[in-house]
Amino acid sequence: MKELQNKAAELLENGTINLLIGFCEDGSKRAVPCFIETAAEANTLVFNQDCKNNLSVYLHKKEVKDAVKIGLVANVATLRSVLQLLSENQLWSLTLTYLTVNGAGELVVLSSAEELEGYVQANFPTCRPEDQEMLDKLNAMSREERWAFWKDQLSECVKCYACRAVCPMCYCTVCTTECNQPQWIKTSAETSGNFEYHTMRAMHLAGRCINCGECGRICPAGIPVHLLTAQMNQEIEQEFGGKTGWSLKGGYALNSFKPGDKENFIK
Amino acid sequence: MELKLISTTDIAAFFDGLLKAGKVVVAPVLKQSGKVFFKPVQSFAEVATEYIQTTFSAKEVVFPKVEELFTYKHNEEGGLDFNDYLDRIPETVIWGLRPCDAAGFDYLNVFFLQEHPDAYFKARYDKTTLVTMSCSTCDESCFCTSVDSHPGDTKGSDVLLTAMDGKYYVEVMTEKGSSLINNNLELFTSTETLSKERFLAKPATRFSMEEIKDRIQNAYDSVEWKQASMGCYSCGACAFACPTCTCFDIQDEGTQDHGKRVRCWDACALSQFTKHASGHNPRKTQTERRRQRLMHKFKYSVENLGIVSCVGCGRCIRVCPSHLNIFENILSVTK
Repeated sequence: MKELQNKAAELLENGTINLLIGFCEDGSKRAVPCFIETAAEANTLVFNQDCKNNLSVYLHKKEVKDAVKIGLVANVATLRSVLQLLSENQLWSLTLTYLTVNGAGELVVLSSAEELEGYVQANFPTCRPEDQEMLDKLNAMSREERWAFWKDQLSECVKCYACRAVCPMCYCTVCTTECNQPQWIKTSAETSGNFEYHTMRAMHLAGRCINCGECGRICPAGIPVHLLTAQMNQEIEQEFGGKTGWSLKGGYALNSFKPGDKENFIK
Repeated sequence: MELKLISTTDIAAFFDGLLKAGKVVVAPVLKQSGKVFFKPVQSFAEVATEYIQTTFSAKEVVFPKVEELFTYKHNEEGGLDFNDYLDRIPETVIWGLRPCDAAGFDYLNVFFLQEHPDAYFKARYDKTTLVTMSCSTCDESCFCTSVDSHPGDTKGSDVLLTAMDGKYYVEVMTEKGSSLINNNLELFTSTETLSKERFLAKPATRFSMEEIKDRIQNAYDSVEWKQASMGCYSCGACAFACPTCTCFDIQDEGTQDHGKRVRCWDACALSQFTKHASGHNPRKTQTERRRQRLMHKFKYSVENLGIVSCVGCGRCIRVCPSHLNIFENILSVTK
């Protein structure tokens, strides 16, 4: 911890970064995202099992972007989202430095996109076992059972859009849900409208979701929405190959085509 | 106010009596996700027992997340037929809400009925009776004692039940409450005033409204707003979980021939909330939006409606994906 705090202070002091996005403890000792601009504040930083938020989502925020040179305290899921974002031609206007802790508990500082790519590939996460277990359970259900499961879950959705807000891949300035001419998605949070929204979101994230699980973890209504995107990702991987958040040149499956594509609808 | 006692063993009979009388009873129900929601129930066995607070508030009963205002349909004569549901709202009892939630109803009443009475809210509210349950436990997000309330507050309730060794102390506050008790009178005995104090939770007091009312006058320009809002992801979780957030959006769903008009919850934290048709957005950044939310609760509603619109239930803190803390924020911007 001390090492992380010292490094952060050093980077802020020598001007490598103007802003550090990390975690500190609130009055109730919970790890919360924090935004540090001076070396003196670096001693409030923490990084432990409690630090779950995917902080890369803040890189889309105007108040953050203004700082340009930014340090990011990140676990591997967060690093993977940045990599995916870079491959989608996002964030290149920022100068990013990443601070993470490897499996051996050592502080690792990554200061270029290439170093980031190398680290992510060497530490690539697999699907969380509890998620895989749930996906297997859902896939083993009959279509009717699965429908009943999601109907029950999605009836609780209030469309607070927290799932969208915490998702680093949801960076559209105007989301489809906010278009009203034409209105693609119902605004009201009734079950059928909730299905429309979550189906749309899963489709837009197919092959782009880096499976950090944040959307499901933070859902106020406790809906495991991350399983929808996780499932889509597995299908994309199976059909088209490739991994999300794996390389700088990754792009994503549903946004690329080859002239020799066996399907002819695109020609 | 009438004071009664009912034994713990008779409480299920009281509950069943409400169902037998044909009332819709909405009570806290524990779902598989481990979260507790208000749901219409068919038996006392479905009611959650161990909960500090429900995830969302009970406001949904009188101000649904999606409320059908009316349906329309073209008729054969070339006109339109309208249908609304105001006369079909059932008698409803909200069971087991907490005193903070009930206090929220006090605010909802002022907001929806004081200046321009809202027919939809009124129709639901008039048919709703609140049977509140005092809090014997609390957590670090609870701060009702900071906003002029407490875990045994009767504010807003029709009936307040307080669990005391083997019995409930029953404070009957209104005529609506009285009629529930009178229909099951054999279950209750009369009592003198009893002290609830030792059966109540002791949430930490973070500030007093007395001091905040003064200090918030100069808070608008505080430099602390930026830090207080940097973590905000700009979702509507806090507003939707809040018992006193009343913003809504009206939407038409359907075609020229038939469809419906619905009212649905909206939230000031969402970036589109104040966006004008011209494209101009007076609250462009999250700093401005978070400030609006907090200033509304602690300053504007006090000035405009004479009532603070925060009841200290702590839901916004519990649901916030980045754990933004309303009482810490209020303290920092009024420093």
